Amino acid sequence: MRCAFAAIAMTTVLAGCASATKPDAAREPFAWEMPAVVAADRPIVDAARLHRRTLANGLQVIVLEDRRLPEFSAGFIALRGAAIEAPSEAGLAVFTAALMERGAGARDKLNLAAAVDDLGADLSLNADWDSLRASVSGLSQDFDALFAVLADVVRRPRFDLEEAKQLVAEQRAAIAQAQDDPARLATKHFMRALYGAHRLGTPSAGLDETVARFGPADARAFHARVVKPPGGILWAVGDVDPGALFARAESAFGAWSGAPLAALPDAAPAPEKRRVVIVDRPELGQVQVAIGHEGIARTDERRLEAQLMNAAFGAGGFSSRLMNRIRATEGLTYGIYAQFAQYRVPGPFVVSTFTRVSEVGKLLASTFEELERLRASPPAGDELERARSQRVGSFPLQLETSEAVMRALLDLEVYGLPRDTLDTYRARMRAITPEQIAATANALVHPERAAIVLVGPAEALGEVAAQYGEVEVVSP
Amino acid sequence: MAVTLSCVGGLAAESVQPEFDDPALRTRITKLANGLDVLTLEDHATPVVSLQVWAKVGSGDESRFTGIAHLFEHMMFLGSKNLSKLGPEAYTKLVEERGGTINAYTSRDVTVYFENVAPEHLPLVIALEGERFANLEVTEEALKAERQVVIEERRLRSENDPEGIAFESAMALAYQAHPYRVPTVGWKSDLEKVTAADCRAFFDTYYAANNLVVAIAGNFDTDEALALVEKHFGWLRTAPSIPRNPQEEPEQNGERRAIEHFPVRAPILLSAYQGPSTHSPDTDALDIASGILAGGRTSRLHRALVDEARLALEPSAFFWELQRAGVFMAGATLVPGADVAAAEKIIHDEIAKLAATPPSESELRRARRALEVQWIRGQGSAHALASRIAQDYVAYGRIEPLAEKLAALRAVAPADVQRVVKQYLAPHRRNVVQVFPPAADEEGQP
Repeated sequence: MRCAFAAIAMTTVLAGCASATKPDAAREPFAWEMPAVVAADRPIVDAARLHRRTLANGLQVIVLEDRRLPEFSAGFIALRGAAIEAPSEAGLAVFTAALMERGAGARDKLNLAAAVDDLGADLSLNADWDSLRASVSGLSQDFDALFAVLADVVRRPRFDLEEAKQLVAEQRAAIAQAQDDPARLATKHFMRALYGAHRLGTPSAGLDETVARFGPADARAFHARVVKPPGGILWAVGDVDPGALFARAESAFGAWSGAPLAALPDAAPAPEKRRVVIVDRPELGQVQVAIGHEGIARTDERRLEAQLMNAAFGAGGFSSRLMNRIRATEGLTYGIYAQFAQYRVPGPFVVSTFTRVSEVGKLLASTFEELERLRASPPAGDELERARSQRVGSFPLQLETSEAVMRALLDLEVYGLPRDTLDTYRARMRAITPEQIAATANALVHPERAAIVLVGPAEALGEVAAQYGEVEVVSP
Repeated sequence: MAVTLSCVGGLAAESVQPEFDDPALRTRITKLANGLDVLTLEDHATPVVSLQVWAKVGSGDESRFTGIAHLFEHMMFLGSKNLSKLGPEAYTKLVEERGGTINAYTSRDVTVYFENVAPEHLPLVIALEGERFANLEVTEEALKAERQVVIEERRLRSENDPEGIAFESAMALAYQAHPYRVPTVGWKSDLEKVTAADCRAFFDTYYAANNLVVAIAGNFDTDEALALVEKHFGWLRTAPSIPRNPQEEPEQNGERRAIEHFPVRAPILLSAYQGPSTHSPDTDALDIASGILAGGRTSRLHRALVDEARLALEPSAFFWELQRAGVFMAGATLVPGADVAAAEKIIHDEIAKLAATPPSESELRRARRALEVQWIRGQGSAHALASRIAQDYVAYGRIEPLAEKLAALRAVAPADVQRVVKQYLAPHRRNVVQVFPPAADEEGQP
């Protein structure tokens, strides 16, 4: 501390003896007027650091070495999640994952938590639509202990009755808590409006009435159904020795076996007409809005075109049409965002935003105009090139860390996409033509059958909402 | 003219031996002739470079209009002499179109502008930052739309969010004198009345070279970057002095309470205690105390509130370091229908136990280890590294080696934890906020 302060004090004396002048606009072009510098693509995945092996029981093992910091993450992914649940068991994947964390092997819940907390580490269990995941992260000096914890929670969860009872109560409370959050309410009712009785129509965490019935036997059965080596992936990233990891994988998971994975679910039918839902929250001064319809699956061949089109439309930050008009020009919101949510089955194409109660009519009108314009005047010319440059340029930045690269590699495995996808992405994105974008907009954008969900005071919103179709008012 | 002051690495080795390569030790510190501090940290293993401009002004410096520091941060994106012809949000678009991210945030103490880009775009983002500092245009027209955007941000984070309501209320209770009591986003009335001239005056007062720190971390060449920073920032004026609000928070002599009515299913409970400034040696012990109370499933509040009483799902406790006086908060979003008074008693009893008896060695070690791992893991990206060196430099006037941060944590003894809990988290210093729905027959409530 003293050295740095002394040095500053010394050089402050020099401050007065030199000055620079304010830049003169006439002398040279501004940096932003020069053609954008384009550097050669740097490889995303360093092949020398990536190691793969498949055990005899079908379990894949992937290691990405990065020895710069003395830390690591490791995990297991089962390639099935909430999407395979029957309607009556909605929430079981999430419940099973959470119960796996509450006691495994020789340790009960508290001892397991202590084994992790003592090392300042993290243990995480969760499930989404298409996978169930367990992971640990911490310092590499603690690798052995944490890998043992991982193996226990994956292979030897205890599924204790008392823990299951407590978890049921907690999950039910969490479901009720979520209803205090306007954004989560909007998502829940949007998915219901769009998908109805299909599994996607109910939250992945389930409903109070389904979760209330869960017990340890349900979790044990779901675990047996999805957590097993065929199709499973064991992974590690960071300060990890691949040889040691493969050996450890063999000893902890090699003698494990299981039947092939459960069948995949069917896609939901596309909605036939527009639906308008108001989730009545009379006290809210700001209305949460979701607008959208059916979209594409993660494996859809048009996914890159859809992504590029949507970068120009609603996912490209301030450069996107929606942000430009609805935030920057009209000042209606703090944020507006469109996405193609992609699962193994087609997920929705959804625009999410919020505005004050008095401006909901204007916001809906502007958003629908933009959806129509997306189809009538799809991004082309400079607009398309800017969106393309954004997608191509941001790709390596999003994959800056080895952890991010590993997440992306695992995503490819979960959806069965080609393993060279990350390194071919930029070339494929550059090859998309304006005609393909126009065709994609025509095929994938259907405002006429969009569902609209508004979370806010029904009394104030009814008239505006009615302009878009028959209105259903529901309680949170 | 630029003068290179030092490499931090030269300072670190004599105090504590680092256990591994601490990247921040390679930071080069340069002071321009106008007083601007430039921190540069090359790391060619990453495909990214992060440029950050830290202005040492936050909402804690506001006097007349609350929210002006943050509103002004928004105005920095809306136009300048040589960019306005490119349309609204030209800064953002120029960066996004090259795949980069550009954003900013305002806190009680600082306003931070940053760009994360591929190395070839560093010259552009330095030029863009220079342009807005040189030629910012603050017009009434731009302000008109932007103030509505900020009011929507306020509704999103504070008015419609019960946890935001609790936080805002707790800060207003914990600080009676100091401007930290006011939410950074400001009050709606002030946002509606502030003018372009007020924003301009704010810029003229606080955005001087000697009140800024530029940090660059990632894949770039230091000499080239320094030349560009000199070119684009070297002309910035030096302020003879930067005004600071004089208020110091008086000692609190009794518990303060607030009830916020909001129609939530899950009530919220928050206890806030004014703490020491970021320069205090007690901050490490308070961080450890927060971990003992609510860090993970084995923590005291988790066991008492979640496992035993079943009143909450995820209790939290943290010490928020602030330049002038930080704040310690402990609380929870309760399960629907929970007895709020019972939950409050449990939280306060657990704090009282820690004040009465030092934690065990193993409990302390566990909480400390979590903080150590957090430090070591939290520097994987160029953005994280730039943030760390700038944060250190703004707070302490130097880059604090990681080994020193870890050594300070390791020096905390059980008795230290007990002492800071007893001193700062005493019952007469607490500020309790409860958020729950109004009774059905209560008139005039939302």
